[in-house]
Amino acid sequence: MILDTRYLLLRLGQAVLVLLLAFTAAFVLLSLIPGDGLTARFADPALGLSSEQITQIREATGADESWFSRYLLSLTGFLTGDFGYSVQTGAAVSTIIAAALPSTAVLAVSGFLTALVLAVAIAVAATYGPATGPFAWVRRALDSVPSLFISVPVFWLGILLIQVFSFQFGFVSVVSPGPAEALVLPTLTVAVPLSAPITQVLIRSITEVQASGFVKVTTAKGASEMWMLVHTVARNAVLPGLTIIGLVFGELVAGAVVTETVFGRNGIGLITAQAVTHRDNPILLAVVVIATFGYVIINLAVDLLYPVIDVRLRTQRTTASGKGLKNSDASTRSALTATAASVGVDLDWTDDTAAETSTETKATNP
Amino acid sequence: MTDLRPTASARVAGHDLDRRSILSLGLGFGTLITLSACTPRDTGTSASGHPVRGGVLTYFEPQTWTLLYPPSVGFYPNGGIMNNISARLLWQDPETLELHPWLATDLPEISADATTYTFTIRDGVTYSDGTPLTPANVARNFDLFGRGDEARTLPVSEQISNYERSEVLDDRRVRFHFSAPSPGFAQATSTMNAGLLADSTLALDAEGFGPGGATRIHTCGPFHITDETIGQKLSVRAREDYDWAPPHLAHQGRAHLDGIDYLTNNEYSVRIGAVLSGQADGVRDVQAPDESRVSEHGLRLYAKATNGINNSINFRFRHALLADVSVRRALIAAIDRQEIVDKLFTPNYPLATGLLAEGAMGYTDQSGSWVHDPDRADRLLDQAGWTERNTAGYRVKDGQTLALAVNIALPQPRSNEVQTLIQQQLRRVGVHLSINPGDQSKQTLDALELDTVQIYHSMVARADFDNLRSNYSSANRDVFLNGPDRSDADDGSIDPRIDELLDALAAEPDPGKRQQAAEAVQDYLVEQAYVLPFFEEPQVFAFRRRVHGFATEPVGRPDFYSTWLTGER
Repeated sequence: MILDTRYLLLRLGQAVLVLLLAFTAAFVLLSLIPGDGLTARFADPALGLSSEQITQIREATGADESWFSRYLLSLTGFLTGDFGYSVQTGAAVSTIIAAALPSTAVLAVSGFLTALVLAVAIAVAATYGPATGPFAWVRRALDSVPSLFISVPVFWLGILLIQVFSFQFGFVSVVSPGPAEALVLPTLTVAVPLSAPITQVLIRSITEVQASGFVKVTTAKGASEMWMLVHTVARNAVLPGLTIIGLVFGELVAGAVVTETVFGRNGIGLITAQAVTHRDNPILLAVVVIATFGYVIINLAVDLLYPVIDVRLRTQRTTASGKGLKNSDASTRSALTATAASVGVDLDWTDDTAAETSTETKATNP
Repeated sequence: MTDLRPTASARVAGHDLDRRSILSLGLGFGTLITLSACTPRDTGTSASGHPVRGGVLTYFEPQTWTLLYPPSVGFYPNGGIMNNISARLLWQDPETLELHPWLATDLPEISADATTYTFTIRDGVTYSDGTPLTPANVARNFDLFGRGDEARTLPVSEQISNYERSEVLDDRRVRFHFSAPSPGFAQATSTMNAGLLADSTLALDAEGFGPGGATRIHTCGPFHITDETIGQKLSVRAREDYDWAPPHLAHQGRAHLDGIDYLTNNEYSVRIGAVLSGQADGVRDVQAPDESRVSEHGLRLYAKATNGINNSINFRFRHALLADVSVRRALIAAIDRQEIVDKLFTPNYPLATGLLAEGAMGYTDQSGSWVHDPDRADRLLDQAGWTERNTAGYRVKDGQTLALAVNIALPQPRSNEVQTLIQQQLRRVGVHLSINPGDQSKQTLDALELDTVQIYHSMVARADFDNLRSNYSSANRDVFLNGPDRSDADDGSIDPRIDELLDALAAEPDPGKRQQAAEAVQDYLVEQAYVLPFFEEPQVFAFRRRVHGFATEPVGRPDFYSTWLTGER
């Protein structure tokens, strides 16, 4: 069984708990910061409001109630889908988020896919490139690409890409780009630092899997390098990569803040940056909850993908409750067979009768 | 973003000195080549000629607009839009600062004590939603601007004081009544903060005036809002039927441009780069170090005076350390204003010769009042009893160090650099200056407390005598924190004289006497060493050569009505 319902429900319950904790932590931390959005907006001497007028506004918006009652108010709001109103502009947070989310989602997906392609390409080239000969340096150079990519400051990369490809060569316009045109440079900016940890983990795990016994066995059986990569190595090396993909999602959100600011894309990152400067707590709370939600969902999906990719992880829950493996029961054996088959080894060990038959065949043979 | 650069490159560089220098060289070089000579020169024709109709101007702002409620459009991105979409009762000449009729057929009839104003409204003016401009509508506009509406979080206009009520006299005339003399009102009706709104727009709340609802804002200026992409772009297009330009102008009828696209990008290098590379036509807020680069590329650089209170620091005399006038005089003598202007700015930032800019109403020359003389500063401080020094070299009296804090005026140019330079200058005479860190919200909040900020850096622009009141009065911006109703004000440290002089200015209806009253305020502030002005703050714009006829209103907000474009970018 690939998908365990009980496990899924448990994970979903955890997800709800994580969301609640993130919301609470964000609320408490934002309340601790001295000053709030109302002060930032209305106490600005440029507006010339008297202290009575500010007090009236504060009363009208309920800003001076205790933090706990405001917490309960926001929490019930969030539970009913009402994110409240931006302190800075007065617009409904849901409207602002709805306008920003699609652009960020598109950037995230394209950035992520590009990062994935980059990571796989670099990792394969760095592990399957020529180990000797005149081009051996290519492999060594590629091996250090992850450290380079992770060190590049995102904002600098973004500015550099704009300066070179837009202002210098005029390939893309930053002023009135088409939808695809607007996506090219931001995607690259997001993808480069994002690909670094994935590449690093893939290089390591491919190298490890290459050194395993079963790979040597398969090589001895005469498999070509390409066949090995696709059928044997990739399948085993991809698991740690999958784990890191779940983790770098957070970086995707952080990267969006900088990328969208540099490229002037109205997305979650840009409104976050603006909300921080204006102490716009309702927007920040909504962003925290949305980011947490995305993080939880991605990691849940990654966890559910493990057994799909690796059969070894499929059966542990059904057998763990049993009285052990002493009877070498059928399910364990079939799992082991499947695992062996997945790495290209035929165990020839389907069940007892088959084993007996083969013994008999052996006995009668001479 | 630009400020992060050294930190980020330092982080990348690591510990090894050689590696660090190579890496930072790499980072710096990369930025340098891309920012410098590589972008092509603007070779467009700069010859003027007859205005050409057509074309959409693309214009970059550093921040997105926040609110198009007229009294709140002092914020530059808001004002840059409101000034072009709205029309006002009167029009103020940016050169002479004289008032001329616009939507009013004549200058208002003003009662001798300046408590009633009667305007006759022009016929045939319509809003962009088709509704006509009527006296009743004008009355509703000023009822809102003059009183505000807390329930809708719409604040009162700081430019309109003592507003009482409006009265529609007949189908062309409207009268405004004030509870006390309000001589600044005529000028107030000419600013973009009094841009007239259609009835449907007047019913909006703060959310309605914010991003997301821009196309519902109906005004009667030469342009109207047609499209909005939240956080990125706002498009305004010319009104074909616009036929009520100020009669004083040579240009009448429709605007030359087809429209303006206001674009927002927070990243300075992108904004400048877009104009240098020809992707955009203009940009506001060119920083002083970049002016030469922009000119070298053949672009037009405009430094427009803002005609207001100069960029200054205000000494909050109510704080114990600044209560002694000799200490304030010593600080003034210790600060080298010329060095600030020479090191950090360009000739577009002229050294202040008074509390007000030379083009401002009420200006009086006080240029001899702030002489740089560190020896005198030392003497004054010694005389004031600050003779001992602590181990760090700062002056001490009765166990207390002479340590002060200043805010960073984030909207003002290079405020942090200015304060850093002053920090060094004060260090030489043994005064410790700390610069209050933090973002705009924190600066706003900290500046409201005497304990956190004792020296307040600011400027404000409005082309009227009332500008002095807006800045120094305890009822308005209160730069000195000098309000008698403050909770910390019962220790007798309030100086009531400032508010008295400002009230006298505000209550004086006669223009000639207003000048005298304004000079009296400034003389008192200078004599008491309450203020040290640095420079006349301009708004610096850069435009491609194909942009002709760019102008600004009296306080430096762009006015695109008579702007026109030729050829390609």
